[in-house]
Amino acid sequence: MSGDPLDATERDVVVVGAGAAGMSAAYAAARAGCTVTIIDANPVAGGQYHRRRIDAATYRPRGCDDEAVWRRIHIESATTVYAVEIIDHGTQRIFGVRTRGDDRHRRDVDLVRARRLIIATGAYDRPLPVPGWDLPGVMTGGGAQALIKGSGVLPGNRVVVAGTGPFLLAVAQAILEAGGSVAAVVEANDPVALRRHRSALTNVGKAGELARFITSLTRHRVPYLRRHRVTRVHGDTTVTGVTLARVDASWHATPGTDRFIEADTLTLGYGFTAQTDLPAQLGCTLQVSADEGLAVTVDDDQATSVTGVYAAGESTGVGGVDLAGIEGLLAGAAVARSLDHPSPLRDEPALRRSRDRMRAFADALATAFPLRSGWRDDLEDDTVVCRCEEVPAGRIRNAITELGAHDARTVKLLTRAGMGWCQGRVCSLAVDRLCPRSATLDGQARAATRPVAIPVPLGAVADINLQSRRES
Amino acid sequence: MPEIIIDGRAVTVADGVTVAAALMSEGIRSWRTTRIAGNPRGVFCGMGVCFDCLVTLNGEPNVRACITPVEPGDVIDSQQGTGHDGGVS
Amino acid sequence: MNDANPRRAFDAIVIGAGVVGACCAHYLIEAGLQVAIIDRGSVASGTTGAGEGNILVSDKGPGPELDLALLSRRLWFELIDVIGDRAELEPKGGVVIAHDGATLTRLREFAEVQRAAGVETHDVDPMQLRELEPHINPQIPGGVHYPQDMQTQPMLAAAHLIARGVQSGRLSRMTDTEVTEITRDESGRVTGVRTLSDVISAPIVVNAAGTWGGQVAALAGVDLPILPRRGFLLVTEPLPITVHHKVYAADYVANVASDSEGLETSAVIEGTRGGTILIGSSRERVGFDATLDWSIVQRLAAQAVEVFPMLAGVQLLRTYGGFRPYCPDHLPVVGADARVPGLMHACGHEGAGVGLAAATGYLIAQAVTGRPLDLSLEPFAPVRFDSTPERVGAHA
Ligand SMILES: Cc1cc2nc3c(=O)[nH]c(=O)nc-3n(C[C@H](O)[C@H](O)[C@H](O)COP(=O)(O)OP(=O)(O)OC[C@H]3O[C@@H](n4cnc5c(N)ncnc54)[C@H](O)[C@@H]3O)c2cc1C
Ligand SMILES: Cc1cc2nc3c(=O)[nH]c(=O)nc-3n(C[C@H](O)[C@H](O)[C@H](O)COP(=O)(O)OP(=O)(O)OC[C@H]3O[C@@H](n4cnc5c(N)ncnc54)[C@H](O)[C@@H]3O)c2cc1C
Ligand code: FES
Repeated sequence: MSGDPLDATERDVVVVGAGAAGMSAAYAAARAGCTVTIIDANPVAGGQYHRRRIDAATYRPRGCDDEAVWRRIHIESATTVYAVEIIDHGTQRIFGVRTRGDDRHRRDVDLVRARRLIIATGAYDRPLPVPGWDLPGVMTGGGAQALIKGSGVLPGNRVVVAGTGPFLLAVAQAILEAGGSVAAVVEANDPVALRRHRSALTNVGKAGELARFITSLTRHRVPYLRRHRVTRVHGDTTVTGVTLARVDASWHATPGTDRFIEADTLTLGYGFTAQTDLPAQLGCTLQVSADEGLAVTVDDDQATSVTGVYAAGESTGVGGVDLAGIEGLLAGAAVARSLDHPSPLRDEPALRRSRDRMRAFADALATAFPLRSGWRDDLEDDTVVCRCEEVPAGRIRNAITELGAHDARTVKLLTRAGMGWCQGRVCSLAVDRLCPRSATLDGQARAATRPVAIPVPLGAVADINLQSRRES
Repeated sequence: MPEIIIDGRAVTVADGVTVAAALMSEGIRSWRTTRIAGNPRGVFCGMGVCFDCLVTLNGEPNVRACITPVEPGDVIDSQQGTGHDGGVS
Repeated sequence: MNDANPRRAFDAIVIGAGVVGACCAHYLIEAGLQVAIIDRGSVASGTTGAGEGNILVSDKGPGPELDLALLSRRLWFELIDVIGDRAELEPKGGVVIAHDGATLTRLREFAEVQRAAGVETHDVDPMQLRELEPHINPQIPGGVHYPQDMQTQPMLAAAHLIARGVQSGRLSRMTDTEVTEITRDESGRVTGVRTLSDVISAPIVVNAAGTWGGQVAALAGVDLPILPRRGFLLVTEPLPITVHHKVYAADYVANVASDSEGLETSAVIEGTRGGTILIGSSRERVGFDATLDWSIVQRLAAQAVEVFPMLAGVQLLRTYGGFRPYCPDHLPVVGADARVPGLMHACGHEGAGVGLAAATGYLIAQAVTGRPLDLSLEPFAPVRFDSTPERVGAHA
């Protein structure tokens, strides 16, 4: 990695993220003739879905199999983009992409320049607080899956998989396949509503996958408890069990339905949060998507509201790996066109149609697994909501009722909830939903403002070789 | 199979695993205590987002165990509070 | 959102629920008035939630601002008695350092003049410097210790002062309520305000709208030349206490007093109760553009590492910034507006609004109730810009 701006290579395109979306985007753009660099925080390409061990075979997205094209693509792995900025060079717009190495090499910083930027940063799990959720042994569904897929390690001996959405089934399946034991899958919603979307499911070929998951649960005698929620996690220094309760359509627990289940591990996940830090830094328009979370707004060409910046995959809204790949191809093609290269895609209109169909399905799926408010009843005054700054629910409620805070930003200023290491990535949804003025685009976007996407040592930031706007 | 040292104890772990996976496969579930209440923490998000899994690696505090692959000879130490309690260097 | 209070007539209305508005409301209700505090956002949603919380005397030369600061410092202790430790007041003192001999000489001359004006100062050599700040760069030739400098958490201070007023029954807190007009009768006297959805009456309206003070003044048909002066701060990962005072470089004083529109940065470093270290600060006039400029971040980081080399390995977690309410002569606007009877201003405090808030509120209450003033408000008069277009920097 070079720190000298003079040989900081300027690329046609920098793609951030080497998941299905980013890899497909890079392939399409490179195939059309662009110079492309992919930057990804992980040591190996593949993203969340194709997460693999370091020694596994190289990931290639569907339809991207010309190795001659891959040889022209530069992949910078184990490298995180902590900030992106616009560097104006007269009339030409150049993006500055600030990177650092992995945690072992976090002082290795660099500034890469690009004429176009494709954001394919994916998403992360969306947990909600519950008493005891800060005990070791509680983790997100994605966290459990990553341990299994990435390192071949089971998250625990007896796992309760809880939250909402079809992803619970994928997590349970991964644990079972790896030889683990699942005590129950606890789904807060009633996916019977899904039947209404059967035709859409069949259309995008997802029905088979879900049916397979359910069959597998039955075969392993794992109860799939719908309209249930984990209302408490038990344990002193590690999880020893959970309390479940039946819930109504708003997720309020039905009195008298409590039951204890022994387990040493709980996974939590109520859908996903799109990773929008970098587009937000650039001022790209965000929107509230069907799952009530934020996503980058893109047009038919996957272009964001900021000229030269494109986005694909989960960062534009959660939609699955196939959709991410198609969006990536379309983004790469659009970028190539904007740089006067011919489109590398044979049948773009067909791809656009598939994308639109799959996006509509993803939105329908999100609506079938909505986010309700009954979880708030569980929180006791000393239940930690912000895990980093250890801010309990009582302090947040006090800021709201006594100090007059009505939105998440004010709660943050008055309680430090969201000010810690993770910068609110984990707690901001819960904090927002505890506020009287919640779920607004403006409020959520403000909570998701992260000028530094990942911490970076001051000495590295001070590096004089990384001058950009003013001095250049 | 890399040999590493976990809190002073030499162990051999599988190839290509993360520091968090190495700790967990040794039956260790938490390797950090929080700076205010001193509560134990380990893996939560498993993908570099939450910073719950911070650990001291080869003397460097606050390394995310869940996304850092193990290398032979690594010295892994659990950490307390800010991770800088021995002083900022 | 309003508290369940149907009242629509008050003795006074304060526009702006920042730290200055909170102090105004506090002293007005202490004087026996029934008050409404109105903000278009939330409590502390303006610059109060976007800056630091220093209560400084060290950066002020003899003159009206220093007098205001010394009074304010004393009053802050009173306020803390009222709201308790919740505002995280730390009377930790400031240390101003010089990077070279010539600057050190000038700094010490400045300190001597301050001493004559009632500021406590102690010259410190490199060894004493290291006793005060064990991690400081040993090459720094010396500085001045100002034991009177303090720090508070201004959002908490504002929120708790307002909450206490609400609990007393004498203050109505109206947030998410934008004032769209300051209403007047035929004689031109203030009668109250109009909001997007309501009419609220009071014979006194206090403009505590900070950086937006000029816009609020315009709602009453008068001019106030208040401009935004942007500033960014860096926040590190939490650490054990490593920086004990507010430590800053002597060039900060010159930058504060500067009239330049261009970027100025100076190293300002301090710890917080949360464990993080705050690194400031930049000053530039670029309108209300909030886009982060990484060349500023880079400069601030470099300056901080120069003063505290151990910060090199400490991680930057986030940055934030805001817009200081800047007046051409660097003095706030405090007092009655002779052009509009009933209209008071308490805004334009630039980078010292937290420090000066207590005295501002105190003097506003004295002025409203017609009591003798502890300090003349003449230097802060709202009409001063009409006759004298631009004074020389207050610190010159
Ligand atoms: C935890 C999790 C588990 C999932 N499991 C399944 C599953 O089992 N089945 C299923 O069908 N779908 C699953 N999905 C959804 C599936 O991952 C997506 O549909 C698909 O992987 C999306 O591809 P993507 O390219 O948009 O994002 P990802 O595959 O998430 O790729 C994004 C990449 O961007 C990188 N990145 C992000 N920010 C930065 C940065 N600042 N600098 C550098 N690199 C960065 C990340 O390291 C990551 O490699 C899961 C999603 C998540 C979040
Ligand atoms: C980076 C930085 C560092 C700083 N450091 C320090 C420091 O260490 N010490 C110090 O003393 N000062 C510091 N300051 C300055 C200090 O923050 C400000 O001077 C102070 O916060 C101003 O407070 P205020 O109450 O006047 O204004 P604000 O906090 O801005 O409050 C004004 C309020 O008026 C409201 N408002 C505006 N228009 C309307 C309307 N039409 N209707 C209703 N409401 C309206 C706004 O919503 C806002 O909440 C710093 C500032 C910055 C940017
Ligand atoms: S477990 Fe979340 S960052 Fe490692």
